[in-house]
Amino acid sequence: MNIKVGMGSCGIAAGAGDIFYNLEKAGLKPAPVGCNGMCNLEPIVEIDGKMYTQVTDIDEILNGTKLPLETKQNQSRIALRNCGNINPENIDEYIGSGGYAPLNLTPEEIIGQLKVSGLSGRGGAGFPTWFKWQAARDSAGDKKYVICNADEGDPGAFMDRAILEGDPHTVLEGMIIAAYAIGADEGIIYVRAEYPLAIKRLETAIEQARERSYLGDKFDIKIKAGAGAFVCGEETALIASLEGERGMPRLKPPFPAQKGFWGKPSNINNVETYANIPWIIQNSGMAANTKVFALTGKIVKGGLAEVPMGCTIREVVYDVGGGITGGKEFKAVQMGGPSGGCIPASLQDTPITYEALAATGAIMGSGGMVVMDESSCMVDMARFFLDFTCKESCGKCVHCRIGNRRLLEILERICDGNGRENDIDLLEELSEEIKAGSLCALGQTAPNPVLTTLKYFKNEYEDHIKNKKCPAKCCKPLLTFSIDLTKCKKCSLCVKRCAADAIDDFTIINEKCTKCGICADVCKFEAVNVT
Amino acid sequence: MIKLIINNHKINAEPGKTILQITQENNIEIPTLCHDERVEIFGSCGICAVEIAGSPRLFRACSTPAADGMVIFTDTERVRRNRRSVLELLLSDHTGDCVAPCVLACPAETDCQGYVKLIADGDYEGARKFIMETNPFPASIGRVCPHPCEEECRRTLVEEPVSIAALKAFAGDFTPIGFAAPPPEEEGSVAVIGGGPGGLSAAYFLRLKGHSVTVYEAMPEMGGMLRYGIPEYRLPKAILQKEIDAVERMGVNFINNKKVSLDDIKGDYDAVIIAVGAWVSSSMRCKGEELGNVIGGIDFLREPPIISGKIVAVVGGGNTAMDTCRTAVRLGAERVYNIYRRTRAEMPAEKIEIDEAEEEGVIFKFLANPLEISENSIRLRIMELGEPDKSGRRTPVETDKEETLAVDFVISAIGQKLNPGGFESIELTNWGTIIADSETFCTNVQGVFAIGDAVNDGAGIAITAIGHAKKAAEAVHGFLAGCGVSGTPQNYLAKTKKTPEDFIGEPKQNRAKMPHRCASERRGDFKEINLGFTEETAQKEATRCLGCGCADFHECKLIRYANQYDVKPEKYEGLISKKTENSPIPNVLQTPEKCILCGLCVRLCEEEIKAGVLGFVGRGFGTQVKPAGDLTPCVSCGKCAEICPTGALTAINN
Repeated sequence: MNIKVGMGSCGIAAGAGDIFYNLEKAGLKPAPVGCNGMCNLEPIVEIDGKMYTQVTDIDEILNGTKLPLETKQNQSRIALRNCGNINPENIDEYIGSGGYAPLNLTPEEIIGQLKVSGLSGRGGAGFPTWFKWQAARDSAGDKKYVICNADEGDPGAFMDRAILEGDPHTVLEGMIIAAYAIGADEGIIYVRAEYPLAIKRLETAIEQARERSYLGDKFDIKIKAGAGAFVCGEETALIASLEGERGMPRLKPPFPAQKGFWGKPSNINNVETYANIPWIIQNSGMAANTKVFALTGKIVKGGLAEVPMGCTIREVVYDVGGGITGGKEFKAVQMGGPSGGCIPASLQDTPITYEALAATGAIMGSGGMVVMDESSCMVDMARFFLDFTCKESCGKCVHCRIGNRRLLEILERICDGNGRENDIDLLEELSEEIKAGSLCALGQTAPNPVLTTLKYFKNEYEDHIKNKKCPAKCCKPLLTFSIDLTKCKKCSLCVKRCAADAIDDFTIINEKCTKCGICADVCKFEAVNVT
Repeated sequence: MIKLIINNHKINAEPGKTILQITQENNIEIPTLCHDERVEIFGSCGICAVEIAGSPRLFRACSTPAADGMVIFTDTERVRRNRRSVLELLLSDHTGDCVAPCVLACPAETDCQGYVKLIADGDYEGARKFIMETNPFPASIGRVCPHPCEEECRRTLVEEPVSIAALKAFAGDFTPIGFAAPPPEEEGSVAVIGGGPGGLSAAYFLRLKGHSVTVYEAMPEMGGMLRYGIPEYRLPKAILQKEIDAVERMGVNFINNKKVSLDDIKGDYDAVIIAVGAWVSSSMRCKGEELGNVIGGIDFLREPPIISGKIVAVVGGGNTAMDTCRTAVRLGAERVYNIYRRTRAEMPAEKIEIDEAEEEGVIFKFLANPLEISENSIRLRIMELGEPDKSGRRTPVETDKEETLAVDFVISAIGQKLNPGGFESIELTNWGTIIADSETFCTNVQGVFAIGDAVNDGAGIAITAIGHAKKAAEAVHGFLAGCGVSGTPQNYLAKTKKTPEDFIGEPKQNRAKMPHRCASERRGDFKEINLGFTEETAQKEATRCLGCGCADFHECKLIRYANQYDVKPEKYEGLISKKTENSPIPNVLQTPEKCILCGLCVRLCEEEIKAGVLGFVGRGFGTQVKPAGDLTPCVSCGKCAEICPTGALTAINN
């Protein structure tokens, strides 16, 4: 019996550790594998190709009372090709899947194949990978570095973590190929310290690769755990952090390929980019035309999805993600995390390509895709992401440090019902200056959630400001609760649960009401109106 | 060499330089707050943004290498807008006062904080010279000024205001008057009509600028209201005369006893300043006002009749009324009433004047208004207080009650007006004052300026007239130089509201008491009441100053650019980042709330001094520059203060 248990962070969080232990105790030999992308169905146990989901009791599988999953998710996996299939702590399984194949190409041929493949950086910016490699190769220097950016930080993004946990060797192999192509002898993986399992599996993988001499004198890799600053995902800030300095972006040029870590030519790619490299080289420069997305939000099947470029947002949301939870209406997706923008449901047939997404005002980003339904307030959404970027700003540039803070304050007052007549103009004006005046992408892109929501949902802003209403019924200070006495059965449940003692004779006293919403939540007769 | 086009000008430059370096070599100003040639390029402020043809982006001039063929625009509307946003954002997170509230409160913008500091440092001569940059009469004004500066003094939030006016008088008295010889007289002669504080100050400032000046005075001696309106016991004539003499010694031509009209002299001078004051007492509009025992307040002060043993009623609640009451006491009046239609709380006179008048025996009749005056009595309408008016003072409302007092003389001290005789060509306001521009003091007649009590809002205080004089002198100077009349533009200044909570922990030190003669002694003569501060008292009192105004105001790049870019930071008003206390840096005063995080100090300390004492702490909006806990590597060079573009770090002079 070939038994695999999903032992990524998502699986472990869902209880896969107990399942694994129980399987071992039952005398079976389960293998831990990474996340297969169906995070919403964890813990997952796969026995001889049959996938059992949301497993609570192994006996149900063994005695046949639990039925396996009939259809798998509709994905095409390149970067995630091994995730969930092989044991990430077993180098032989990686080699068995075609990894660490002998490299019979010159550095120029490798870069040539990358160019043919059209691979572009998966970290968000989408810069052609071959160009970076060529620039680093062309830079004079006796010492060069290959750096893997594993400082994944977008809220709701976990693509890189899944790859590092599920298939660390593919990242190492990608870096080994890069080192050979550009002439580097040292590699560093900058991974956030909040990914302990990823670090552990990387350490194991590096040890195994050294034992087999894939790593060693010619090229070796070490791990640097970052302290969790979002801005350190910006390549120059990452280098500063590696050098022991404050994680603050530096001016470009010079680019890292010219003067990077310790002033030496350095190639920096992100995890997913490196994960694609071995596959491309194995397939002689075939285009790795997929992108991994972390699907979160109001979606039925949240999880990881690697989908072909060019498929539409609708296909990702409905075919891969299973549609919107609770049968509610699809409203928008936020692409690219705090640097990205929202795309309204009306544009759901937009194909997922760098160009088509940019045309909407959003970006491909690193792969965060937050799905929103009718109950999501777009002003609040913009506020949420701006709150994140404000907290993560390094504080260097005036526009980012103070400008984004002021944007946030304007959004906060709009959500609190204190929006002012010219706030929309002020948001737009200030956003433009911040985009033009910030040094790094964090600051330059921080106003994007504001600008895109203003572009597609200006009426929601106007409702908040002029009518003091939140159409999504999300911004609490703008809500009014009242009891519909024609529906009310006088069960008094709301009265009992109201912490503010604001319900008197089945009437809500507005002055006392703290708008917590518990009355509406507990009412069995839908007698509490929220307007 | 590479060829560039900057603002449509062809410029050749050596390769390898940044746009900022090239513009600096070619005298094209690009602002920068975070760049200095001594340290590595950092690029934090973003204010050096420029446009480069062919790119939709803005570029930082400090870090963008110039390339052959580049077409650069350094001053487009887009560039200015972006720079303005940098400044507005910085100022929206800035705490501090460019200029101290006392200075802003002074109508002549006297740098009170500056001279108080000099006195605290024991440099009395320096203090006098410093005052005389804005006011040629420190000893006189220090005695008579109602000191609006002290009203705004922040020390009030701790206990009591600093004795700013008395310190000015101290500086004026303590050191001999002596000035550098004024420049030789150039072309351009000016006549000043009226030798009061405004006219004499105008003469003084114009003479300093090298003009020949003649002052015409209708009265026998110079000094105007300071001489004829302020009693000797407040301002001894000898002290005033010393200061007037100093103006004459500068080469100002004085013509006393000569009342002139504009037409009389206009043709003889290149410019004329009218500073005739307001010498006509306002009417009380009551019956019997024309009687011989009714006198105007300033007329009384100028030329008092014999009132010994008589009963005198003085109508009005201002400083002139108090001066009149107290003069009447000294002239031996049997009884002196003060009649005022509101109550003590609403009186415009200074509190000390009211208190001292009472000490000297003046009887106050509040809530009373004259109805009719006869040879030996005054009939009063009893009033009560109604709703507050626009100024916030409660309006007096008539009751049906009356009261009659037996009096021999009634003195009306309810205000003064201009006598416009002799200035018929000059346009007046509806209330009879000359219309003068509030910045340049031009009148409707070219080359004729007007200042002081005679203009706009009418009679005010001496320091206001002196403030007018300085601005008018600038304008006349410009007019004579042929470069037109232009006023100083309304500048942007950073200001911060403070509350007593901001000063918790500030040790309390009571305001120095002005030593003065007791009431029983002083009411019999005209000798000066106040005895003045001793050196010790003055110096100690001066150290009470909280130093509210920014020490770096004149060197601050932030405020200079703010005014160049016409900022309106109010629109970004929001939370102000909290700046926590820093460990001390030797010889450097830290005001972290003025830090703009340009990082110049951090980098200079690290790159040039190799000490690395300063660093960035915190993230995002809460980022702060802080010295390290361990200051051992600090070499006390003070260069961090020198390179700081704002007042966040300033050198402490020992």
